[in-house]
Amino acid sequence: MGNRMKWVSLLLTSLVLLLTACSGGGNSNTSPNTSEKNLNTEVATDDGSGIKPVTFSFYGNYDWLTTSPWGDNEATKWIQENRKVTVEPIQSGGAAGEKLNTMIVGGDLPDVIFTDRGSSVERLVQAGQLVALDDYYDKYPNFKKYVKESTLNLLRSDDGKIYQIPNWYTSGQFGNGGWMVNKEIYNELGRPALETFDDLYQYLLMVQEKYPDVVPLEVGEKGAGLEIMYGGFRENSTSKFISLMGHPDGDKLSSILDDPAYEEMVLYINKLYRERLITQDALQQTQDAVKEKVNTSRVAVMVESNITTYGAEGHRALTASNPDSGYEIIWPIHKAGLDKTKVFVSGFETLGWNVNVITKKAEDPEAIFAYFDWITGPEGQKVLFFGPKGLYWDEEDADGAPIPNEKYKTTPANERTETMRKFEDFNWAGNTTFIDTAKMSLEALLSANQKSWETVAQSTVTWKTALDITEFVNTDPLPDTEIGIIAQNVGDIYTLAYAQMVQAKSDEEVLSALETAKKNTRKAGLDKLLEFRTEKWQENVKKINVTK
Amino acid sequence: MNTAEKPSRWKKFTSQLDLQSMVWPGIIFVFIFSYIPMYGVVMAFQQYDIFGGIMKSPWVGFMHFRMFFEAPEFWNVMRNTIVISLLKLIISFPAPILLALMLNEIGNMGFKRVIQTVSYLPYFLSWVIVSGFVFSLLSVDNGTVNYVLERFNLVGEPVNFLALPKYFWSILVSVNVWKEVGFGSIVYLAAIAGIDPTLYEAASIDGASRFKQIHLITLPSITPIIIIFMILAIGSLLSAGFEDILLLATNPILRPYSDVIDTYVYRVGILNARFSYATAVGLFKAVISVILLVMANKIARRADVSLW
Repeated sequence: MGNRMKWVSLLLTSLVLLLTACSGGGNSNTSPNTSEKNLNTEVATDDGSGIKPVTFSFYGNYDWLTTSPWGDNEATKWIQENRKVTVEPIQSGGAAGEKLNTMIVGGDLPDVIFTDRGSSVERLVQAGQLVALDDYYDKYPNFKKYVKESTLNLLRSDDGKIYQIPNWYTSGQFGNGGWMVNKEIYNELGRPALETFDDLYQYLLMVQEKYPDVVPLEVGEKGAGLEIMYGGFRENSTSKFISLMGHPDGDKLSSILDDPAYEEMVLYINKLYRERLITQDALQQTQDAVKEKVNTSRVAVMVESNITTYGAEGHRALTASNPDSGYEIIWPIHKAGLDKTKVFVSGFETLGWNVNVITKKAEDPEAIFAYFDWITGPEGQKVLFFGPKGLYWDEEDADGAPIPNEKYKTTPANERTETMRKFEDFNWAGNTTFIDTAKMSLEALLSANQKSWETVAQSTVTWKTALDITEFVNTDPLPDTEIGIIAQNVGDIYTLAYAQMVQAKSDEEVLSALETAKKNTRKAGLDKLLEFRTEKWQENVKKINVTK
Repeated sequence: MNTAEKPSRWKKFTSQLDLQSMVWPGIIFVFIFSYIPMYGVVMAFQQYDIFGGIMKSPWVGFMHFRMFFEAPEFWNVMRNTIVISLLKLIISFPAPILLALMLNEIGNMGFKRVIQTVSYLPYFLSWVIVSGFVFSLLSVDNGTVNYVLERFNLVGEPVNFLALPKYFWSILVSVNVWKEVGFGSIVYLAAIAGIDPTLYEAASIDGASRFKQIHLITLPSITPIIIIFMILAIGSLLSAGFEDILLLATNPILRPYSDVIDTYVYRVGILNARFSYATAVGLFKAVISVILLVMANKIARRADVSLW
């Protein structure tokens, strides 16, 4: 009996131990941090920028994002040693939304969340989980200097306060979408004019005949490039209008499905698809499959929303064996008769890519903000883009842009790009204007073949063909509201109809799918959704105009 | 009477303590991870607010259930769930039994082991990898299957297998069989190994052929196992699959044929943070599943085999 009791107690103790281990897991990290924080404060150095030693946790709310450990590369190591700032990354593990929800439910929010603007931020604002940053924006120098007043106004939440720190905000045009051609094939076919959609059709037919193993027109992962053709069918438009389900018509949005330019586009896409001029795997292919085709020269023309990345990688792969091959960026294909300077393939928002928010969990939000303000200033940008002083640059020119040193020039372009890309992962308050100016002056010093494909493509075409669509930010309803459910239903109807239109067997089939979609979206409440979006859009226009 | 029984039951319990302690971890596990979280189903009747939690969320009654039944996708989703499940039940369920019977007839032990290992290896590959295989086999640009078909002049131009709804169910079920058949057969092989060999000896003395032996000895001996698995399969009739469908049906044109309850819950509920809606649909599925399970068990009881 005594023996048995021993067994029971052993079992119970182990169980209790297990449970305490589980429950303690969440907090076990916090205690050493606090002590470290105190330690850091003692050796605080103030150099006028307002930055002070701080340690905070950082969560990137993206499935694909894995933040490397802090201090693992030259840039973050420099920051840790010289600015005494330490960041503890929290990983999404490939399921960002679920991870964030788990943290919310568990009351275990990170200090900083790096996420898209819109519903994910608004949800946190409404629940009172975020720190308002208005006072800090006033107090610290860099954001005040680089972010336009109108941009800051657009970042304001419904209660009039600012909770977000913008990333890659800009005051100029920028964009990465566009068209490129395979140089070798284009040269061999005699470089025919490629400006209008008719030119393209004729060219694709030539490719199909001469190069049966090559995909005439590649359109990217899950056909991402198809919809961006919309900008070629109507002046001053981008495929953003398709995702809004409405195009601006005076001062209101009307259904994209009623737009003749949209109808023309789907008929054209369907014609190319039907004649096998577009990859038949378009709507289901993975990014790897696309890259494989691009990097082995089995693509003649490509249109994609991130053409600069595909192009740079493909160009690098092809020129490695044959310097005369590779890809070439071209001006966007458009409908005959449109003004080619009014054709846009991508859209950009002056608010930039995404935002950082500081939660109420943060012990010293001001110090965190000060660090972000430092990032977006000249020193932060230089360290997190070009690397710390002494790596690829030693001196600056009159504008404060780094001057490349010998190492920058002698390191192979691929290796250098890779190293710098690792720094960029930590540039959470990217200052587009500053970087681009510095980047351009840096590239200008290089010889033609040292210049990166990306920079050339951006400066000659893709930036110029990006439309400012800032006035359409934050026009998405919260998903669990009435309008949100409408948006979900409309989106489902559209996604299916669109796939049917692309793969239809005849023009009649395209038009009948379009008709059905019109009818079903109307029934699902598209009008209400467009009314909601129009209202948000007009509010934005007002905010932008007030400060102009 | 009562006082006399109590100590004896306690005694019975304590005398088996070593055995009992082996069951406890399982019971505790089920209790913590399956029973405690069950209070969460009240979310289905609330407008769940992730920040307020269950205590602060307002009650909405059957609103989410009504929304699901009235959703335009409802009938499509139900049809796909049932059709895909039935296809899996008719094809994927007997496949491992057949494989086990065939493996059992192989005399050469080395060959049998190789076949067994090769057939159950795919089970350990994740669906992400398997779907990658399927895509590179069936794609139009450079897909192996299309390449072979074209070479043998069986098709004029490549077939877009993964973008045509009519092929989807067959692809889904075949891939499922390929992935699961080997592993599924292990249980049946174990059951067959437990059959008394003297039965076969007696049968062969009586002049029964191999097929007769399978028909009259092997199959009847493993019938209880088959029925138990059948009951479980019917109980999960509404779980038509999730990862496989999500990863193979990436082309939205397949949606009218590929959307099943689980993928619908994921896409509409979880991805859009409509937790109450997702819970309601999940609860609906669970209730139907329990009903099916009880019914199947009741029918099976007539054959003297049942779960309880």
